[in-house]
Amino acid sequence: MTPPIISIERISKHFGGTRALHEVSFDVMPGELHAICGENGAGKSTLMKILSGVITDYEGELRIDGQIARFSGTRDAEAVGISIIHQELNLVEQLSIAANIFLGRELRWGGVFCDDRAMEVAATELLKSLDCDIPPSRLAGSLRVGDQQLIEIAKALSLNSRILVMDEPTSALTEAEVERLYRVIAKLRSKGTTILYISHKMDEVFHLSDRITVLRDGQFIATRNTKETNAREITQLMVGRDIESLDLGPRSPRGEKVLEVRNLSLEWPGHARGYRLKDVSLELYRGEVLGIAGLMGAGRTELLECLFGASSLPPTGEIMLDGVSIMPRHPSQAKRAGLALVTEDRKRLGVFNTMNVGQNISMCSLREAVSGPLLSSSRERGLSDSMVSKLRIKTAGLTPPIGSLSGGNQQKCIVGRWLLTHPKVLLLDDPTRGVDVGAKAELYRVIRSLCSEGLGVIVTSSELPELLTLSDRIMVLSEGRKTAEFDIREATQEKIMEAATRSWQTSK
Amino acid sequence: MNNDSPSLLGRLWSSVEFKLILSWLLVVIATMLLDSNHTYWNASADSAQIVLRQTVLLGFFALGSAIIIISGGIDLSSGSVIAMSATVFGSLMIVLDPEGFKAGHVSTTAVILSIAGTLLAGAMVGTLHAWLITSVGLPPFVATLATLVGLRSFSRGLTPTVAGGKSQIDFPDDNLRNALKDVTAITIVFIVFAFALWFLMSRTVTGRHLQAMGGNEQASKLSGIRTDRLKWLAYVIGAVSASIVGIIFFADQGSAKPDIMARGYELNAIAASVIGGCSLQGGIGTIPGTILGCLFLRTIIDAVQKIVGAGADVFEGMIVGIVVVVAVTFSQRGGSKLIGKRYFSDEIGWSVIPTLGLLSGLAFLLFFGKREWYAPYQAILVGVVVVGALAVRAVLESRANSSSRV
Repeated sequence: MTPPIISIERISKHFGGTRALHEVSFDVMPGELHAICGENGAGKSTLMKILSGVITDYEGELRIDGQIARFSGTRDAEAVGISIIHQELNLVEQLSIAANIFLGRELRWGGVFCDDRAMEVAATELLKSLDCDIPPSRLAGSLRVGDQQLIEIAKALSLNSRILVMDEPTSALTEAEVERLYRVIAKLRSKGTTILYISHKMDEVFHLSDRITVLRDGQFIATRNTKETNAREITQLMVGRDIESLDLGPRSPRGEKVLEVRNLSLEWPGHARGYRLKDVSLELYRGEVLGIAGLMGAGRTELLECLFGASSLPPTGEIMLDGVSIMPRHPSQAKRAGLALVTEDRKRLGVFNTMNVGQNISMCSLREAVSGPLLSSSRERGLSDSMVSKLRIKTAGLTPPIGSLSGGNQQKCIVGRWLLTHPKVLLLDDPTRGVDVGAKAELYRVIRSLCSEGLGVIVTSSELPELLTLSDRIMVLSEGRKTAEFDIREATQEKIMEAATRSWQTSK
Repeated sequence: MNNDSPSLLGRLWSSVEFKLILSWLLVVIATMLLDSNHTYWNASADSAQIVLRQTVLLGFFALGSAIIIISGGIDLSSGSVIAMSATVFGSLMIVLDPEGFKAGHVSTTAVILSIAGTLLAGAMVGTLHAWLITSVGLPPFVATLATLVGLRSFSRGLTPTVAGGKSQIDFPDDNLRNALKDVTAITIVFIVFAFALWFLMSRTVTGRHLQAMGGNEQASKLSGIRTDRLKWLAYVIGAVSASIVGIIFFADQGSAKPDIMARGYELNAIAASVIGGCSLQGGIGTIPGTILGCLFLRTIIDAVQKIVGAGADVFEGMIVGIVVVVAVTFSQRGGSKLIGKRYFSDEIGWSVIPTLGLLSGLAFLLFFGKREWYAPYQAILVGVVVVGALAVRAVLESRANSSSRV
C-alpha cells in the first residue's frame, strides 16, 4: 500500500472556550479525491485552514509525505504544494483578474517591473482551461461571486499545487459552472492532483469522491469508501441521527395577492445589452414561495435589489404591495412598506462584524426595543432571544461576536433580524449558500412555517433541487428577462435549465 | 447559557477603560516620585485644575472626533473649526454690539446671540462636510482636509475686516472672559455634553446605528438605515463640539489669532480617540474610553512638563506620538502576547534598530541632559546600550524563527 500523502494526527484546536477540533486523525492517499463532510461547526473549515497554513497554532501533528510539517503561513503550505480555495473569497477587488492570480508572485521583467502583458497572457490560458472567457484585465471587484470563485480556482491552478483544498467550491455556482468545475476537477485528477473537497451536497460528493470522511462537533466520526456507502449513511453520520428525506409538511394554501410587479426594467449603461432587467413582471401571493431560477448574471440579485430599493440606478415599472403602488428608492422605504431582504453576500452586505450576536439580530427592529428615548437592553435581549430559539441558532448566548458562529448560524441571525420587522414579503437571495444539510432543512421549515403565517416569500438559489423542494412556483430569468414560469407540479430541472439558458433572441 | 462568557472581572480587565485608568494612576504616581519639585504633592489642587482644564478643552472636540471615527469617518478639520469659531464669535460680538465691544462690556443679548451664531456656524460646517461626503461623494479625509486648509484661511481673511485691519481679535469683556474660562463652569458644561453623547452612543437607536454604519456601511444601508442622515449627524456633532471649544478657547487665550490658534489640534483629538480605544476602521469605540484617553494624554503631557521643567511644550508632539504607538499596540493585542511577538526578525526590523537607538539617545539628552560636559557622552552611551539590547533581541528572535520552520 502506498504511504499517505497527508497524515492528520490527533489535531486539536480551541478558539477561546470553544472547541473547534478534538484529536482528529485520518489519512489522505495520493491522487484521491477525499471529501470531508460535516454540519456547520463540525470543524471542516478549521481543519482545512490548519492544512493550508492559515491557522498556525494547534495541537497535534500534520505530516506531508511522512514529514512533520509546521507551517508558519500560507506561503509555507504553498511551498510543499498545498493550495486552498476558501469558501469566503479573498480577492483584491481593485486589482485586475490577472493581478489577483499572480498576487505576490508577479511576473517581472528587469527584476522590478510588472510584466502585465505576460501575466494577462498566462491568466487567459488559465481561464481558458476553466472554460471561462472573461478578459483578465477586468477588475476582480466588477465580477459576480460565481466568476470571482473561478478566479480563485485559476489562482490555485497557477501554483501547480499537488494538493488542492476546496471549501464548498460550488456553493455559489450555477449548474453550468458546476459542470465546468467537474471538468476541471477531472483534468486535475488526471494529472495526479490530490483533492480535499468539502461539501454539503451529497450528490456532488458521491459524484466526485473516492473516499468520504465525516466530522461532527470537531471530532472524527468515520471514513468510508464512496462505493461502499450511500447518501443516507453519510447524512446519518453527519447529524448523528437518522433524518428522513426532506418532508416539509403540506404546503400552505395560497392567500390573496400581496406583491405585483409590472414591467420592471433596470438600465445597464455602458453594457452591450443595455439593461440588467427588462420588462419583468411577477405576482406573489400570501403563503406562497416563489422561486427565481437563473444562471449567474441572469438578474436574480438585481431583481431583488430593485424590489428592495437597493439598486444603484432607479428602475422603471411598477411595484404594488397589497394593492398600493410603491417604488422604494432606499431600503428604509422598502422596510417600512413591509419588505425584507436577506442578501446574497453575507460577509460584505449582511453581517456586522464589530457587533455581537444579539446586536446583529436586533439591528432592524431597535425601534421596538426602546422605552422612552432610550434603548432597553432587556427588551432588545427579548427580541434577539426569541429569534435564537425560533430559528434554533447555535450560539453560547447573545454576547459572543457574530464572527464566532458558523456560516449557517450567521445566516439564521440575519433571517431572524428581518423576521423581527414583521415583513409581508421576505426576499431571500440564495439563503442557503454555505449552509449544511441539517441547517438547510431547518431553514426550509422556517420558510414554510412563515408562509403558513401568511408571509409571501421570494427565494433565489443556484441549486435547482432546492428551488424544487421549496417553491410553489418557479420563475426563470435569462439575461435579464423572464423566460418561463412553472407551477411546481409541472417543473423539472430539465425544463428550468432549458428556460434559463434560452437567450432572448432565440426565444422570440 | 452564559457559561462560556468571561467573568465580570475578566471583562473589566480586558476593557480599554480599565487599562487606561491603571496607566493613568501609574503616570500620576510616577510623577509624584520623579518630579523634583513634588508639585503633585505640594499643589495637588492647582495641578488637578490645570490638567482638568486641558482635558476638558481637548475632551469636547475629541468626543466629536470620536463619534465621527466610530461611525466610520474621519474629521481633520477640528483645529481650523476651533479657530474659525473663535473668529466668528469675536466678529459677531463686534457686529452686534460695536459700542459695548469697544467699552469692554458686551451686552448679554449680543453675547447669547453670538454664541448661538457661532454654534450655528459650526453646524453649517458639519452640514457642508456631510454634503461633500454623501452627495458629492468625496472621501471624508479629502472633504475635511479641504476645510482644514480652507477655514483657517477664511478666518484670517475675516479678522482684519471686522477688527479694523488687525490680524487678531482681542477678547473685549473681562467679566465675560472669566465666566467663559472658569474651570468649574466649563467642566459642568462638559459633563452635561459628555453624558448626552454617552447616552446617544450607548443607549439610543441612533447611537447603535452610528456604530453599525462604522462597522459595515453597506450592510447598514441594506438594513434600512438612513446612512446619509447619520453621517450628517456625526459631522454636525463633530463641528459643533469644535465650535464650543472655539468659544472657550477665545476666552482662555484672551485673543483669537486665526493663523496659529489651535493649529494641529485635530490630530490630538484623533490621537485621544485612538488611545481611548476607537478603531480608525470604524465601528469600535466608546465615549468613556475617549474621555479617559484625553485625561491620560493630557496627564502624561503635564507629567513630562513637571519632570523635565520649563519649555516642555516642545515635547508635546513627541509624547503624543509615543503614547499613540504604545496605546494602540497594547489595545490590539493583550500585554502577554506583546512579549512573545517578533519585532526585529526581518530586514525592516534590523534596519529600524539604529533609528530607535538614535531616538533614545536624543530623547535622553533632551529630557534628562544636565548642562555638563559629559551629557553628550551619556546620551551616546544610552543610544549604544539600546542598540545593543535590541540587537541581542533580534538575534534571539531569528534563532527562534529558524528553529520553528519546517
